[in-house]
Amino acid sequence: MTARSILTLLLLLSAPAWARNVDLSTVPKRDTVQLTIYNSEDLTLVRETRTITFKKGANPLQFSWANTLIDPTSVELKFLSNGEQLEVLDTTFPHDKPQMLYWNVQSSFDGEAKIEITYFTSGISWSADYVAVADREEKAIGIEGFVKVINNSGEDYEDAQVRLVVGKINLVEKIAELAQINAPDFSRMDESKQNYYRFSAMRKSIDSADRYFDAQAAPATRPPAPKEIVKEGLSEYFIYSIEGTETVRNGWSKRMRSFAASAVPLKIQYRYRPAEYGDQLVRMYLLTNDKDSKLGTTPLPDGAVRVFRDNGRDGLSYLASQSVKYVPIGDKIELNLGRDPSVTFELVKLLASRDEIWMERGAANTFLRVGQPGVQIAVNSWVVGWDDHEIYAQRVRNYTAKPIEVEVRRTFPGHVVFRSSLKPTLFDYQTAQFTAGVQVGQKVDLLFEIVRHQGRNAKQNNVTLEAAEIKP
Amino acid sequence: MPRSLPIPLAFIAICLCLAPIAQARIKLITLPPRERVEIQLDNPGATLVEEERIVPLIKGENQVDFSWANTQINPETILFRVIAPAAEQKLDVKVLSVSYPPNEAALVWSVGASDSGSARVRISYILGNLSKNFAYRAVATRDESKLVLAQYMRLQNLANEEYGKTEMWAGFGKEFLKPIGLNETKEMLMAKFANVPIRKTYTASLSEFGYLDQPQQKLRIPMHYVVKNDKASALGTAPLPEGKVRIFIEGTEKEKATTFLGEDWGRFTPIDDEMRLYLGVAQDIVVKRTIDRNDKIRIAGNLFDHAVTIKYEIENFKDSPVTLDIVENLRQIRTEVRGSDNGRDVQWELGKDTTFEGGPDKEKSTFEKQVFHVKLPARGADGKAEKFLHKLQITLKNEW
Repeated sequence: MTARSILTLLLLLSAPAWARNVDLSTVPKRDTVQLTIYNSEDLTLVRETRTITFKKGANPLQFSWANTLIDPTSVELKFLSNGEQLEVLDTTFPHDKPQMLYWNVQSSFDGEAKIEITYFTSGISWSADYVAVADREEKAIGIEGFVKVINNSGEDYEDAQVRLVVGKINLVEKIAELAQINAPDFSRMDESKQNYYRFSAMRKSIDSADRYFDAQAAPATRPPAPKEIVKEGLSEYFIYSIEGTETVRNGWSKRMRSFAASAVPLKIQYRYRPAEYGDQLVRMYLLTNDKDSKLGTTPLPDGAVRVFRDNGRDGLSYLASQSVKYVPIGDKIELNLGRDPSVTFELVKLLASRDEIWMERGAANTFLRVGQPGVQIAVNSWVVGWDDHEIYAQRVRNYTAKPIEVEVRRTFPGHVVFRSSLKPTLFDYQTAQFTAGVQVGQKVDLLFEIVRHQGRNAKQNNVTLEAAEIKP
Repeated sequence: MPRSLPIPLAFIAICLCLAPIAQARIKLITLPPRERVEIQLDNPGATLVEEERIVPLIKGENQVDFSWANTQINPETILFRVIAPAAEQKLDVKVLSVSYPPNEAALVWSVGASDSGSARVRISYILGNLSKNFAYRAVATRDESKLVLAQYMRLQNLANEEYGKTEMWAGFGKEFLKPIGLNETKEMLMAKFANVPIRKTYTASLSEFGYLDQPQQKLRIPMHYVVKNDKASALGTAPLPEGKVRIFIEGTEKEKATTFLGEDWGRFTPIDDEMRLYLGVAQDIVVKRTIDRNDKIRIAGNLFDHAVTIKYEIENFKDSPVTLDIVENLRQIRTEVRGSDNGRDVQWELGKDTTFEGGPDKEKSTFEKQVFHVKLPARGADGKAEKFLHKLQITLKNEW
């Protein structure tokens, strides 16, 4: 059974019309319906217009929404024409019919008027996803972005204008700002008042998109083509408006293309970042969401990216699937393709030693360094500080058909000196990072030494970089 | 109401100019058959199926149904690409949207066509339960110096869908054009490598293989065939994927039949690395390992060096000479002489009384694992084996 929101005009002479057992009503159909889907809040603003013939005097209107997820406190009625001759005298929520309300409309004229009903419903969501297909040489990549609208609201929406709000909105702050009240004042308000501000703020937020959308009205006839999705920046977020109208029935999902970019420049990098990608060297596709890269028309909402490559045999190779977080315009898009069997990556310990060993005699608070000339250390002395030296080879072998770039990040807790000639940089206070190129068929040993100041020798908790030629 | 379909995977083009999707329950449908199927097996964790069909379209908007009842297609991975018009005609075909009906393994593409005609489309999807693995069959020569290594790909189809003539590709090696039926497993010969040299190794490593007889301190000595994945070994064109290796030895001139020697899991082996295949314990090589000396030398206070000598008494009861690999893990030695591992790096020096000729194998050793080689002659004609004595002298430095 399909649940429906229904507006009925009760054809009775006087109020309260709904008290009778025998009723006659007309059901004015929707002229237009518009959905604005706020994903982060599981909230969709529905704006529908209907045309109603009013008679002079009282006109009872019944609005019901059985088996839907409409928020009853959010339902609002507005007169788009003849507003000065129409007035809602009262709104009644009958106690025995929870998903219904009555408006008692007083009219001073006989004739048609256009009304708008807005309300919030949950159960409609949308998601973004992307398909990326790299060319055979992996120099460029084509990207298509999609949006999928999922309707589990209990209501069919036919021929609806659909707009999607991209970005996470902190509604409380937004509402406070738009309502020109302080956020703390807002939090002290009761729920119904908060809702009032929430709804008015959200309505205001889409007004400019409405104007834009109306100005972009599509021509009546055209050859079939994928619908354009108009993207418009709005305050801290974006609104995607889908061209024309869409029918999204209850229980159905609909996926539409939001953008397509071909020949997006692509860089390949191999990365070892255990905190991000686990204990393995992974191959990355790196691109940028900007105009130079033939992208940059919109931020990319959170979504799954499925990455393929032209396999050169008239088909595709499936490389990876991953979810990406919101990518602002101008920011990087990083796609992790996982381990490459053609590149081996090993860490080999070449040497370990200790020096700068300090001892404390008994509990006398006397500290002596082992090996210091002319110093006798008593038997009842204990090691309290020392330096560990470790020399490593980060061994990389490249069996791919192209030279590769490898970036390595290693984190060392404690007071550490990182010595090497690899021109390392600090990613953070305890993480050293270096990059090296490896030619086709080449095996390289990237050498570095770690000095760990231990016990009493540790004065800091950070990594210091030192340029040095390391020999195993 | 779910739509029932007689076959797991169905592809339907509905020859109607579209009214709203799926409202019309009375439909005239065409069933475009698969023209070509490719199964891409190059991804280690997913199988990509690509199928081509020729879809008749009318001018305007068309509805194309795709359903996959009782199969494990990931609907998020389904791609619809127009390859080219089927015949010499100018046809502009675009996917307008995709709709997913409730409670069904199906989707409906809304496809716009500039004219009536047929389009060749390629549908790609990740299919579960269609998996591959690799297996090897190795036949060693009688003198165990070389082997013939056959590499097979096994495709197991539990995907509840059969594919006729299908091109399959593992990401390396040759392509196959074969049908794959329901619940069928197909083994295909990927490559056959002849004259692959093998190194037969006997390894004494307490940390890796433990004791054969602990009270007598006799080590377990496994025997391995070692195959190097490089060009010199007639391999080295691609990494060798993980797989079970069944090893046989060829028969005598008189008795041609091969003999099964054993099997082992061959690990993933990158180019220039070695695949080690365990064949069994060599009980004719006896290695008795004892810690001969452990002298604590005080440096200062609680700081000590440990002068450790490990003694090996080695006998080869085989009729052929062998090379024994002795592997020592320095952390293991420290734990033995100190009773526990303090977690610090082992600082150590090799002592001059070490008797292994040539010192440690630099290529195979790391700082914490040292590898030595010992050449052992065959036992004598009288059946007695000579006992060889070797010593490893190590000083563990700066321990407390």
